[in-house]
Amino acid sequence: MSGAACALDVRSVSKSYGATVALQDVSIELHAGEVHALLGENGAGKSTLVKILNGVVRPNVGTLRMGGEPYEPHSIVEARRRGVATAFQELSLVPNLTVAQNLSLPRQAKGSFGLVSGAATQKQGAAILNRFGLPLSSSAVVANLTLAERQRLEITRAFACNPKVLILDEPTAALAETEWLFGLVRQATAAGAAVLYISHRLAEVRELCQRATVLRNGRSIGTVGLQEVTDQNIFEMMVGRSQAEEMQRRATAGASTRPAVLEAETLVGGSLKNVSLKLREGEILGVAGLEGQGQRALFRALVGLAPLNSGSVKVDGAPVRLSGPDVALKTGRGIAFLPEERKTEGIFPALATATNIVLPVVGRIGRAGLVSERLERDAAAGSSSEVDLSPRYLDFRIGDLSGGNQQKALLARAMQTGARILLLYDPTRGVDVGTKQSIYAAIRSFAGSGGAVLLYSSELPELVRLVDRCLVVYGGRIFAELSGADINERTLVAALTGHAAHEPAA
Amino acid sequence: MSANLNAARVTAPGSNLAVVMRRVLTDGAGVVAILYVVLFALYALWDRSALTASGVTNLSNNAAPLALAAAGESLVVISKGFDLSVSGVVSLSNVLMATYPLEGPGGALVSLMICLAVGGAIGAINGVLVAILRLQSIAATLGTMIMCQGLALVIMDAPGGTVADWVSYTLTDVIFGVIPISGLIVLAVIALWLVFRRTDTCIALFAVGADETAASLSGISVVRARVTAFVGAGLLYGLAGFMLSAQTATGNPTAGTPFLMLTFAAVALGGVSLTGGRGSLVGAVIGAATLMLLQKVLFSGGVSSFYTGIFQGAVMVLAIVFGSLILRLASTGARA
Repeated sequence: MSGAACALDVRSVSKSYGATVALQDVSIELHAGEVHALLGENGAGKSTLVKILNGVVRPNVGTLRMGGEPYEPHSIVEARRRGVATAFQELSLVPNLTVAQNLSLPRQAKGSFGLVSGAATQKQGAAILNRFGLPLSSSAVVANLTLAERQRLEITRAFACNPKVLILDEPTAALAETEWLFGLVRQATAAGAAVLYISHRLAEVRELCQRATVLRNGRSIGTVGLQEVTDQNIFEMMVGRSQAEEMQRRATAGASTRPAVLEAETLVGGSLKNVSLKLREGEILGVAGLEGQGQRALFRALVGLAPLNSGSVKVDGAPVRLSGPDVALKTGRGIAFLPEERKTEGIFPALATATNIVLPVVGRIGRAGLVSERLERDAAAGSSSEVDLSPRYLDFRIGDLSGGNQQKALLARAMQTGARILLLYDPTRGVDVGTKQSIYAAIRSFAGSGGAVLLYSSELPELVRLVDRCLVVYGGRIFAELSGADINERTLVAALTGHAAHEPAA
Repeated sequence: MSANLNAARVTAPGSNLAVVMRRVLTDGAGVVAILYVVLFALYALWDRSALTASGVTNLSNNAAPLALAAAGESLVVISKGFDLSVSGVVSLSNVLMATYPLEGPGGALVSLMICLAVGGAIGAINGVLVAILRLQSIAATLGTMIMCQGLALVIMDAPGGTVADWVSYTLTDVIFGVIPISGLIVLAVIALWLVFRRTDTCIALFAVGADETAASLSGISVVRARVTAFVGAGLLYGLAGFMLSAQTATGNPTAGTPFLMLTFAAVALGGVSLTGGRGSLVGAVIGAATLMLLQKVLFSGGVSSFYTGIFQGAVMVLAIVFGSLILRLASTGARA
């Protein structure tokens, strides 16, 4: 491989946002004709690297070269002109435009007088769809497409630029089958393109890629030939040796005999088609699902944030009506919810961290109905130690804390409420590995002391290591329930996607 | 590729009439256009003079300033922003017209240029503040609005002055005995819009309004789209001020104040989504015309002018409810 032409050479690139270091001394070499995997946990720096390669952000230090020439893109358009195209993880399609218009952004096909011609744009779009085997109408509006169709369109748009370097960021997140994509990738590499393939699905990576570069905490840990390493090796590179060893699943206490504290019967409403579940005392019950399968509605319904058409919820065996998080908190042993969007749904950025933590119980810790800052701080200190949040942060405005520390503070707040049932929605999204460890420890000790936890996570390894049982949601229903040794990544992926393969074509 | 790849989702075309009906009703402009026709019929029923040339000219002269202002506002709203500077620019152009009247067609042209320059400059400032310095559009344009209002008061501290006769007579007149010039000017703006619709910049405007991140990742220059919207809007506010001066023939430093609420009402009534990415300048123009027509209808129907506001507000809310209802029905229909 070393003799092959170097299509893209990233050398010692660093990028920091203020005090937060996103990338440090990252190097990666893409050869023409190879599929190169970029691996790393969430927050390892993959998306920052993608942004740098696209000219969305510029590195503080380091050099990029393409085919020996310096490469310093200042915009996506310039990156594309130099031959770098990307299918973004968050999908960069404009919802109110048609498929054809999206395919020809930012410049549409022109007719007479240099004006945009809808017909020519559609024809051009249809030709692209046809060339890449995508059975979509070029006049369909993107907002009306399914997630999988949008994902395919995003991929097609990147391929349609005929790039020399193609970046695919989690291209299969919404795809049930990979045959179509892999076929296109192989055609492109055969024609001499280099592909940077970002995915958390190791099986796919092994099938498609020759080499992999691993990032951890913003640093490149190394580049390896995938033939020469085991999954365990890669795993260790991604999370670090000591933590990899700790990744053993916790022993399941014979929890199945404990009383159920939260029961949901045939919940229907919004994107929930029919969901029943039983959460027991001392149990961590996992929820896994691809994006948008009803998990969000489930969590929100359980605290009364999303309306239900039918179904019943029982807390401590008694039927309850949950009309909002405040009611949920006071019901039975108490249900506390940690929402996904901490910026918009969680924190009050201008208030001190301590105030944020004690907010739900602020009436309880005052003196004669008045808020006391000292009591507030003492109370916050108690629960912040449980989540390993350093007490020195308590007096800062929470908006100034890092994402990881904000998340710890929010978890502390959920525990501060005294609720014995926690609903945690992707509690480690976008936080670093160290914070994850603290959050895992806090969740475990909470369950160990008899609390019950319902945990949704977008990261399968996290579910594998934390939960006692795991429910897989698909299309608003519980598709599978796994327990014991069945909770491993392979079975989970099969359950997440195996069902998707049977999705009716409608 | 594989057979199960959702081939069924390609929308089957219905009958032509149904397609046209759906497009008219979901366009936003369609609903308000129907409303306008209904109101006009009502007006003609109560007041026979509505159908005469002078009746139509009156309506047109009345509606043109608001229609032009709403047209400008729709550009900013489509790109997901709010522009409050409209009332400031209208006031400023009006006092300039009344303080420095320039006679004859040449003078009118110079006056028009001055109004457009004022509006364009304020729009450029708004664009820089919002698109480049990334201020919230309400805050930034509130600032420029207050600035313009202040400037208008400095130029003219109390209502007064006279707009050049040529402007106030010619621009409120008709040509060929039936066609109001103010209406032609609005039509010219609509024609420009129809051309603009077929440019990459206009598509960028809609894209930025719907999803700024996706638009920029698709290679669209968000800054350019935003600045274009604000400058275009400013130019149209300047033109609105010019036409308002022709209509009132006098100056008033607070002439633009009623425009603030009414432009937004017209834009919303015209089916332009205030959350961005959907709507059309034509809808906003018809929305403005409808609001002005409603005043006439109520007057000719013998309703006291104190009640005008109540009716205007109610009609606006109903039209929006109806429009969004149809949109929801159409989209569930398309998905089913």
